[in-house]
Amino acid sequence: MNSQKIPLLLRIRPLITIFIVVIILIWFLTPLVLITLSAFASSDDYYQFEKVIPTHFTLHHFESLFFGLEAWKAIINSLSVAGITMLLSFLIGLPAGYALSRYVFPGKNFLKLLCMVTKMFPLMVLAVPLLIIFMRIGISDSTWGTSLAHTAMVLPIIILIFSSILSGVSVEYEEAAMIFGLSRIQAFFHITIPLVLPGLAASAIFAFNISWNEVFVATILTLTNRTLPAHILKTAMASPDYIKFAAGFIMAVPAMVFIFFVRKHLVTMWGISLK
Amino acid sequence: MVKVRIEGLKKYFDKVKAVNDINLEIIPGEFVVLLGPSGCGKTTLLRCISGLEIVTAGKVFFDDDNITYLSPKDRNISMVFQNYAVWPHMTVRSNIAFPLRIKKHSQSKIQEKVAWAASLLGIDNLLDRYPTQLSGGQRQRVAVARSIVMEPKVLLMDEPLSNLDALLRVRMRAEIKKLQEKLKVTTLYVTHDQVEAMTMGDRIAVLEQGVVQQFGSSNEIYHNPVNTFVAGFIGSPQMNFIEVEIVNKNDKLYLTTKGLEILLLDIFKERVSRLSDKRKYILGIRPEHIYVASNKPVEKVASIRGKVYFAELLRSDTVIHLEQKFGLLGIKAPGDLKVEEGKELEALIDLSKIHLFEKDSHKAIF
Ligand SMILES: Nc1ncnc2c1ncn2[C@@H]1O[C@H](COP(=O)(O)OP(=O)(O)OP(=O)(O)O)[C@@H](O)[C@H]1O
Ligand SMILES: [Mg+2]
Repeated sequence: MNSQKIPLLLRIRPLITIFIVVIILIWFLTPLVLITLSAFASSDDYYQFEKVIPTHFTLHHFESLFFGLEAWKAIINSLSVAGITMLLSFLIGLPAGYALSRYVFPGKNFLKLLCMVTKMFPLMVLAVPLLIIFMRIGISDSTWGTSLAHTAMVLPIIILIFSSILSGVSVEYEEAAMIFGLSRIQAFFHITIPLVLPGLAASAIFAFNISWNEVFVATILTLTNRTLPAHILKTAMASPDYIKFAAGFIMAVPAMVFIFFVRKHLVTMWGISLK
Repeated sequence: MVKVRIEGLKKYFDKVKAVNDINLEIIPGEFVVLLGPSGCGKTTLLRCISGLEIVTAGKVFFDDDNITYLSPKDRNISMVFQNYAVWPHMTVRSNIAFPLRIKKHSQSKIQEKVAWAASLLGIDNLLDRYPTQLSGGQRQRVAVARSIVMEPKVLLMDEPLSNLDALLRVRMRAEIKKLQEKLKVTTLYVTHDQVEAMTMGDRIAVLEQGVVQQFGSSNEIYHNPVNTFVAGFIGSPQMNFIEVEIVNKNDKLYLTTKGLEILLLDIFKERVSRLSDKRKYILGIRPEHIYVASNKPVEKVASIRGKVYFAELLRSDTVIHLEQKFGLLGIKAPGDLKVEEGKELEALIDLSKIHLFEKDSHKAIF
């Protein structure tokens, strides 16, 4: 038997991969860990700079943030705005994306271009006229108003994403379903939707996060019914640092929880990946 | 069993005339093969019948019902797609069960039917796999299984055996044919494989550029091709085409060209006597109707000599290309025949099996 040596490069390749992954994890997780630690640290520990890892923990900051600064209302606002934004962008985006992916019609490319063009205008230019319009029709300072504005922000991208996701599903899958007894709409829900679930989950995260993190439009359009970022910008920023960290923590957590739940759809299912 | 009637069917994609005025009448329970080269409109015709494609003009009837604009789900058909279209997010079992589940059959009926179809196609051990875990040929068999569980009115199959290995293909050919005879379902079967067409079809429709060139039994299509396209497309190796003139010598008609003189037998005379001899004609001779002199089985022959330019030894038979003044002449000889390239050879053309076509219209005279 002549034994063969595995080349050095091949042997250390897994190590290199692990090394790179660790670096990336540190890069992303360090701020998160620091924010979390500081958010729960008692104010004494927090102000002792030599104490990197605090030893006394408290929920006091959250209490003052939630109830003293009334962040709980803002969280509910934010969740409903993000939820409505997601819902609306799916309701409009799915048919629009389907049309773009399945049919050839005049002005199709122009429409796609138009979706991109909407991203060209800076928000500052749009926000004030939008506020005036919203005030006239009476939806300023409301959850619905903010949701509509956020939907308008995410919709163009969502439409383009959906059209490309749906293009990844061969028309023949739907056609086969139609042959075997489904209508086109039924075929869409029975066959196409399950096939694009990973992509839809990713899009949902995208829409949710854009709305959850958006601060500029939310600040301008609302006064009392603020979303969380707008609320924090207004109140917590004028408070002690540990409150800011607590605020940062509650900003990050719902997004993470949400991603945690849809995460399994992000991993390619059934061994297929949809480009 | 339904009768399928297609009247003046046209399907244009902008300027591409994929299907151009097709008329077909298919007898209930008949197995019709659509045969033609790639891009001739076979798939498009099938899709028009299935309702997946909206026709440009014409009508499709099942029995006496005009179903031209009926949606596919209401046609009671099933189809095997050229690219299988087996749903990747369902197991093989769910794929096959799908048509039954849509039609709300009972659970036990579904199980029984799925097991039946799967064992028929030899995929019973794959039922719990996902299609991505199957080979192309296995996926194709899933598609066939899915198409037969429902006992449809009309069965449409678009090259369902194209991805199987030769052995399996021969077996499946027989299986599908037997199954069709048992179910008595009117079937349209697309293929570009003439062996498949010859062995399976009750009748064969030969398509070219969106037009049916000939519709008839394999016997008719082989022995009486209506034009040079059908004559050349059917048969392997291809029919020899030789440009000839008709010459009258001592009250006898000959087909002649450089180095070839073929006597017209009396059986053909009547067809030819009405033609003006100024025009050009194409003589067609199948390679299997030319014999090497040593094993001459027929009476009326024309002898021809030439050098062997090239011999393909297929072992079951030998295809000889004989050098002639007018070009190469293909001959199909027995496999045990000893031929040497470059050697002179005498061949005998069976005079009763020749074909004649008009050069301009490519139409057959006989
Ligand atoms: N959706 C379409 N748009 C434009 N042209 C098309 C479309 N579908 C088919 N064609 C054209 O119509 C013609 C017939 O196509 P079809 O798919 O019916 O051929 P086919 O006989 O099935 O060929 P193959 O044996 O390769 O499957 C081709 O020239 C093709 O390019
Ligand atoms: Mg085809």
